[in-house]
Amino acid sequence: MRRLLAVLGASVLSASACAHADGPAPPAEQKPVVQQPANEARQLTTPDATALAEFNQRVTQYAEMHKRLEATLPKLPKETTPEAINAHQRALEKLIRAERKAAKQGDLITPATRRVFRQLLARVFSGPEGRELKGTILDENPGNIGLTVNARYPDQIPLSTVPPQVLASLPKLPEDLEYRFIGERLILLDVHAHTIADFMDNAFPA
Amino acid sequence: MHRGRLSATVVFALLAILGCAQPQRGPVQVQGAQSPQQAAQVPVIALPNRPDSLKFAVLGDFGDGSSAQFQMAAEMARVHQRFPYELVITVGDNIYGSERPQDFQRKFEVPYKPLLDAGVKFYASLGNHDSREQRFYKLFNMEGELYYSFKGPKQNVKFIALESTYLVPEQIAWLQKELEGSREDWKIPFFHHPPYSSGGRHGSHLDHREALEPLFVKYNVSVVFTGHDHIYERTKPQQGIVYFVAGSGGKLRRGNLDSTTGITAASNATDRAFVVCEIDGDELFFNAISRTGAVIDSGVITRRK
Repeated sequence: MRRLLAVLGASVLSASACAHADGPAPPAEQKPVVQQPANEARQLTTPDATALAEFNQRVTQYAEMHKRLEATLPKLPKETTPEAINAHQRALEKLIRAERKAAKQGDLITPATRRVFRQLLARVFSGPEGRELKGTILDENPGNIGLTVNARYPDQIPLSTVPPQVLASLPKLPEDLEYRFIGERLILLDVHAHTIADFMDNAFPA
Repeated sequence: MHRGRLSATVVFALLAILGCAQPQRGPVQVQGAQSPQQAAQVPVIALPNRPDSLKFAVLGDFGDGSSAQFQMAAEMARVHQRFPYELVITVGDNIYGSERPQDFQRKFEVPYKPLLDAGVKFYASLGNHDSREQRFYKLFNMEGELYYSFKGPKQNVKFIALESTYLVPEQIAWLQKELEGSREDWKIPFFHHPPYSSGGRHGSHLDHREALEPLFVKYNVSVVFTGHDHIYERTKPQQGIVYFVAGSGGKLRRGNLDSTTGITAASNATDRAFVVCEIDGDELFFNAISRTGAVIDSGVITRRK
């Protein structure tokens, strides 16, 4: 538990730093803006911290776009019918797809972000619990299937479980987005629209 | 490992004859009927069915629309006629596969219609097969929340639904606050992934155990309900806490039990099962009941203080 709390604490620091890093990239001589979120002594390098701060900016912009579009739809009550849930989800999906017509893989998880994510995940998976964590993620996970940005998350595929230790190692996301895995790909799931906002290949260390 | 069977009808009849037998009190926290033979020798501690007790059921891994699910649901309705539980907590995998409006009907509203018509409320937690938007579904009573708590309508009980596929740090902090601030005698977490399980397919989720168990221990949780493995299991107390895996409410992984874990107090992987519980004061009585109405496990848990 102590180990988990340490990771959670570091993650909060990371998220907080990320959330405030909306200015230009720090000069090279400054201390890194983002604390390394995993349970390692070494801090992120400046380029890595910058990559995470920029990722945070992009997902924040995505969440703002999501909220703006969702606000044009009738508000989904806290308790409603499957018909209303389905209609809301499909309508939001359509709006987001229209708004992000030109979206492609890597728009949110850019090559620089990908590199840092791989490092962060490699640290978690190479730890003593790595095998167990990977097992949890790959449990009932279908492996590689075709993915498209902005497409609906496949209905027949269960959501991967993402262990708390893995979540704590990655930057915090806005409420509308979640990290999930399909096979060895890390995806950003738009929860309300049930669509894939972006994904990266080879999230697990080789 | 318990594979004994005792008809639910017989249990209810026995209780009626015995005038709702009083539970045995003693140092052992959990007592369960271990086999029909032992059950005949040891007084069965089943369901007292007292007027002011809190009665509820636990159901997991059920929403596949199969004939087995419908049969299980029919058995739940039959039990409800004799033992009028007020609510059902679900431990996830509420709707398998597609989640179109007609799926909610075929995989939930139709099979459980007798219970819904009788006013039984379902309180859902989400499993890995459930979309996040189920939280808005009126009949799951989640009020738009992925994790939430509610107070039982009787007795001094708080139920805490967790979202175990995505245990973000905020959720763990919320759980700590819920447990810390709770003045209820019983705090009952329910969620999908079992920290302890002898299921051969998934087994114990050690990552969840690491995150959750210290809080459960610290704040005197006595019993935890989970699913995910398509079996029934009740563990021996683990750090004082009894864990149930009630993951065969519709799905079943026949024979999928690891007999080497050493954690099992009772288990069954030969038929679907659900659990009915009754809380009266410091005691929680339980029966696990199969699709055919057999009581496959029963006992009483005394709450930790």
